Amino acid sequence: MAQPIKLYPHLTRVSSHYKKYDIEVPKSLLETKPKKPDLKDFPYPLPLRKKDYTCSCQGNNGVMWYGGEGGVTRYDPNTKSLYDVVMYFSAKRDLMDNSVQNIVADGDGVWVLTASGVTHIDMVKMTSEEKAYKLLEETLTYVQRHGMVSQKRLSEASNLKSALPYGHSDNDGSFSSAYAMGEIFHYATLKREKGDYAEETLRAREVAFRASEAALLLMYVAGRGDGFVARTYLTSQEPVPDDGIFFKKNGATASCINTTDSRNKNIVGLEVKADAPIPERLRRCYTSEGFEDTDITYKADTSSDEITHHYMHLLVAHEFLGCEDPEYDLLLKTAATNTMNHIIDNGYLLRDATGKPTTWAKWCEEYFNTGMGWADACLNAGEILMYLRVTMHLTGEEGKFQKAFDELCEKGYDKLTVKHFDRFFQSSLSGGLDVREEIMYGDHMLAVLSFWGLATLEKDEERKELFRQAFRSWRTSLADEYTPAYDFPYFLSDPENAKPDEERIRTWFYRFNVSRLASNVSMTTRRDLPVRTYMGGYQSLSALPTNDERFIAKLDRDPLEYKDEDSGGVFCVESCYVYTLSYWLGRFFGFIEECDE
Amino acid sequence: MDKTTRLIGNAHLDPIWLWRWQEGCAEVLQTFRSALDRLKEYNDFVFTCSSAAYYQWVEEIDPEMFEEIKSMVRRGRWVPVNGWWVQPDCNMPSGESFARQALYSQLYYYEKFGITCKTGYNVDSFGHNAMMPQLLKKGGMTSYVFHRPCPNENAEIPENLFWWDSADGSRVMTFKIPDGYGTDGKNALDYKMEDINRRTEEAGHGMMLFYGVGNHGGGPTKGDIEYLIENLEREGYNDLEFSSPDAYFEEMLGQFLDLPVWKDELQHHASGCYSATSLIKALNRKAENALAAAEKWDTISSIVTDSAPKTKEFEDAWKKVCFNQFHDILCGCSIMEAYEDCKESEGYALNIASESYNNAVLKIARKVDTWVEGISDAVLEARHYSGAREGFPRPVIVFNPHSYEVNMPVRMYHPSKAVTDSEGNEVLFQNVRSSRSNDEHLDTLFMAKVAPFGYATYWLESDNVQADKELSGENNFFMENEFVSVELDSETGYIKSLVNKETGVDYAEDNFLSIPTVIDDHETDTWAHNVFKFHNIKGLMELVSIERVENGALRSVIRTVHKFNESYLTQEFILAKGQKTIKVDCKALWQEKFTLLKFAFPVGGKKEISTYEIPCGFIKRPCDGDEEPALNWADLTVTKNGNRMGLSVISDSKYSYDCPGAELRLTALRNVIFADHYSYRPDANFNFTDEGMNRFSYGIYLHSGEAEESVIVKEAHLFNNNIVAVPEGYHKGTLPQKDCFLYTNADNVVITALKRCEDGSGDLIIRLYETKGLENTRCYIMSKLFDNGFWFDIKKHEIKTFRVDHNLKVKETDFLEGIPD
Repeated sequence: MAQPIKLYPHLTRVSSHYKKYDIEVPKSLLETKPKKPDLKDFPYPLPLRKKDYTCSCQGNNGVMWYGGEGGVTRYDPNTKSLYDVVMYFSAKRDLMDNSVQNIVADGDGVWVLTASGVTHIDMVKMTSEEKAYKLLEETLTYVQRHGMVSQKRLSEASNLKSALPYGHSDNDGSFSSAYAMGEIFHYATLKREKGDYAEETLRAREVAFRASEAALLLMYVAGRGDGFVARTYLTSQEPVPDDGIFFKKNGATASCINTTDSRNKNIVGLEVKADAPIPERLRRCYTSEGFEDTDITYKADTSSDEITHHYMHLLVAHEFLGCEDPEYDLLLKTAATNTMNHIIDNGYLLRDATGKPTTWAKWCEEYFNTGMGWADACLNAGEILMYLRVTMHLTGEEGKFQKAFDELCEKGYDKLTVKHFDRFFQSSLSGGLDVREEIMYGDHMLAVLSFWGLATLEKDEERKELFRQAFRSWRTSLADEYTPAYDFPYFLSDPENAKPDEERIRTWFYRFNVSRLASNVSMTTRRDLPVRTYMGGYQSLSALPTNDERFIAKLDRDPLEYKDEDSGGVFCVESCYVYTLSYWLGRFFGFIEECDE
Repeated sequence: MDKTTRLIGNAHLDPIWLWRWQEGCAEVLQTFRSALDRLKEYNDFVFTCSSAAYYQWVEEIDPEMFEEIKSMVRRGRWVPVNGWWVQPDCNMPSGESFARQALYSQLYYYEKFGITCKTGYNVDSFGHNAMMPQLLKKGGMTSYVFHRPCPNENAEIPENLFWWDSADGSRVMTFKIPDGYGTDGKNALDYKMEDINRRTEEAGHGMMLFYGVGNHGGGPTKGDIEYLIENLEREGYNDLEFSSPDAYFEEMLGQFLDLPVWKDELQHHASGCYSATSLIKALNRKAENALAAAEKWDTISSIVTDSAPKTKEFEDAWKKVCFNQFHDILCGCSIMEAYEDCKESEGYALNIASESYNNAVLKIARKVDTWVEGISDAVLEARHYSGAREGFPRPVIVFNPHSYEVNMPVRMYHPSKAVTDSEGNEVLFQNVRSSRSNDEHLDTLFMAKVAPFGYATYWLESDNVQADKELSGENNFFMENEFVSVELDSETGYIKSLVNKETGVDYAEDNFLSIPTVIDDHETDTWAHNVFKFHNIKGLMELVSIERVENGALRSVIRTVHKFNESYLTQEFILAKGQKTIKVDCKALWQEKFTLLKFAFPVGGKKEISTYEIPCGFIKRPCDGDEEPALNWADLTVTKNGNRMGLSVISDSKYSYDCPGAELRLTALRNVIFADHYSYRPDANFNFTDEGMNRFSYGIYLHSGEAEESVIVKEAHLFNNNIVAVPEGYHKGTLPQKDCFLYTNADNVVITALKRCEDGSGDLIIRLYETKGLENTRCYIMSKLFDNGFWFDIKKHEIKTFRVDHNLKVKETDFLEGIPD
């Protein structure tokens, strides 16, 4: 891109809830007669029917607020952005409930009386960078677990302070790696802009290393010594859920814990080697909290999702952390080499303690020729080629890895990557589904990481063009999301086809909530967003809603999905990585820049 | 890998071709009877048949047989395919026509059989536009079967089975029938089995083998079926299986196939068919536009005046239009007598359109407050002034069926002394020569500015108008407005200067433009089989006369008359204020046998690319001189003197162009023998397709940059759809003197349908498409019809259909309006 997209300080919504007669609540809210708005000639689509609006007020700069049965609408007649002209506020992310009885202005914000209480909606002017820091702070305070981030369960709905000290995600390795990449770009950006020793830089360095180490630990923590990567791990202070395959480390070995899945596989009590050394600086992720190796229970049956995130994290960490910390760089290289060897030596599989491949980590031709693998093959072929390229880049060793790369290309893996849409379309249609309802949205990130990595590292121009084609094949569904963490790597990989929609990118950052606390929105009450039903019954919206008006999720859901519920439910706070990865990646590569008003 | 050959027993039925529709109807009845008998005789035999129109004939004429068919459909023995009313020509119908083909047909199949067709099936159509995958998909179909063009006509199109994509990203699994859609007799079947077997081995997947007597119906014979049964497991061949296209595609979807992908149109087969028989093409265009505009205002009127919409009448009318889009009809290659029938049915549709339109706008007009204080009850009933009061201007209400704001001249059939708008502002007007000889011979043209889907009231003062003695002013041949200037050559009558005033570029700097060129066409048949270029120039038409007809405040008109042998062409070049398009009204008295009349625009320049409108989109094609189909417009864009510039030709009734290098040519007439099919042409007094009087209009629009960056789509829509002016009386009313009922913010979106849902729910249906090929646009629609609006994102070339219910919930649906479950 010739010029970075300028991000200006922008209003961000922040809601605070009160009891009706709280001393903070202005009397006028309770005593003034609601003023019914005149919406006869309202020039833009309204989220509710006009007859549903029963109260209104005027705020600063001509901004109008309308309330009624269904929530609150803000109208800014002076904004230049089509995305900001009408905003919708709904329960329970913005309001306690949707029965709005009265509304009074408060500067840029508004007081809202609803059936169950009072909400103060503050429109806080902040920069996109400030937002990144606030979100990071929330994640560090409430979400991170031994340095890993995915999400945290809450004991009370929508109460951040009730976050439980434990709780894992099946994909901790993926999300933690993505978070780590964001913080590494954060550090790299500050290092470039503010210098190595600025206070903010040093703080960012600390966060980046901690995030990176936590992710890297998962490539060592199983202690099998064969490069096997754990999905995640728990300490002895955390309950083991009945969700997957877990091994409790007992010293020289680890034994499989009794869960439904392990019983089904008949591996309860199965012993596996667990005494391979774990680098001390990585062990500190749990030893610093008072835990020992024998306190660790790790989750197995790791999927290609984790491996793909880990390898791209290895590349980014090598480039920005490894270069200034040779000891750490060696850990990165060793992890890359060990896991790569594991995969190659096991016939392009990740092999679990049972000796069988894990459910989803398969990059071999045999898998590609199965019903399930046929459509997956194009992504998985890209993944394994990316791992090999990253490993060679990190280690400088080409022998075995180059041979494997060449052999896979000889088998057509590189050319296979471009067939993604064709195969996926056929697979979807054969199941009576449209692509949108068949696709695993988490695969989007895997495709981005794989083809970004390959387009970056591949030196053969002809093959690089194949990988760009593969990336373009994924754009058929990726492009709809306007997620900067997907778009920026694509623009980097395929600059000739980079056509950034500046206003949408700007809006994505501007309209991101300043908290990842889940509490749902009221999408299904809206009248201004058409709903489309696909062949298999899946429903999505005809217009992409802004971040602050749609459900909260990781980068593994369709942002157009027609639903109210945040993906973690109301007993959840998600991590910041969706925003921070997008923001710092964009800042580092010059897609965005902060500007004064 | 499944290599079974699926046997598709079918009957290709031309309801009109070398016979009239009555015979076609009888052929359908006989074929369906025969198919039912065969189904009863052979337990494994499956029959496939398209075209909802045929089923409706059977239902109405032979309800008992229809019940038998229903029973067979339920049992999966009889498989309806192609959710369209007929097998239409797939180049010339508008996008909205394709939507209606699907809407009325799929809902018919759904109502009668409880199914919708999943396979599109146009086995005889002569070419297939590049938007077809989207048109099929949004009509409820996921796969497609076609036959033409053949490999000798276009060898690049994949053979057998492939994915076909349109520019919006829609995709259908597509099977190209290799050896024709019909056959009978052992030898023909043997040949097909041999060929299909070879293809199966080469491709590694199963194929379809189509059999059955076709064209004039018939279907699979006993002999065919019995021979196939004998050979179901023939030594050395892949197994045969009686089946249907639906079953074949379902089976293929389950195979691990990396099929070729085709992202282009499927052309050409019968290049003469884009221009043969101007009559049916003009009727098609007119009916499509009239019905779409009428239904929009009927919908608005029914809501505003709380009256019943004419949804059923529009269905009846559209079915006639859809029927006449059958490929042998719209392509102009049927017998002359058949077009008498087509005129009747198109007339039926046009009459429904005009009556509905008139009723709709008048119902609204009656509610507009046009009362003027001081009006007495006394009425001056002077001739042509019905309703006007002496001393008072007369209200005229102008209605706009477009989703664009319009600012264009409107004609009233009386002269005026002054024209004002509803705010009392003076409005540009001009009294022009009328078509009548009575009275003062003058009509009023005034500039009307009307909101999208809106109306505006104008006041025409018509007392004591004196005719101007000289309407034409000085007799030069130069005209200009804010956007363009044009000068005709006094020696040739061709354009000798054509300047885009925005850029200052003269398009006629090197060559005359708009040259009426006569092309020899005696060596081909009506279809022009195996001929794809028409370049053999017989001569240029020579000027007989040139004169300035008008030179007023609002517009100028120059008339030319040209001659070629005994044929005459009168052209009136019209340039009005505020208009970007020069309009040329033509009257051709044509007598040249075996000829084409083309209007040539040899712009010159380099990096030439031609762009053509296709249903709900556009396509770029090389300037290789091939005759090309297009809807409302075609464009030539070149680089000349460092300028990227384009010239578009718009037409009100034509569909054929060519671009031999940096020259764009509109094919206006094609005068060949009716239904001349590879004929030896015995010595007979044949009738010719375009002989006699032809009236048509074309427009010339200039732009800088590429065609899609310009406003050509809007100009072409305005050219093809007139705004309507209604003379009104003086009365109180609840509606203001101007209003707008629906609009969109996006200038790359055009709304093609505004109607009520076919299920009687009263829900509003809005259909639109993206015109400029922009990646993803955030848009909204606002409407007083449901007192709100909605947001949507639209991708390049995408067609969207929305359904708004009484509770203001909005669904995005497709051509079928969400009716089938």
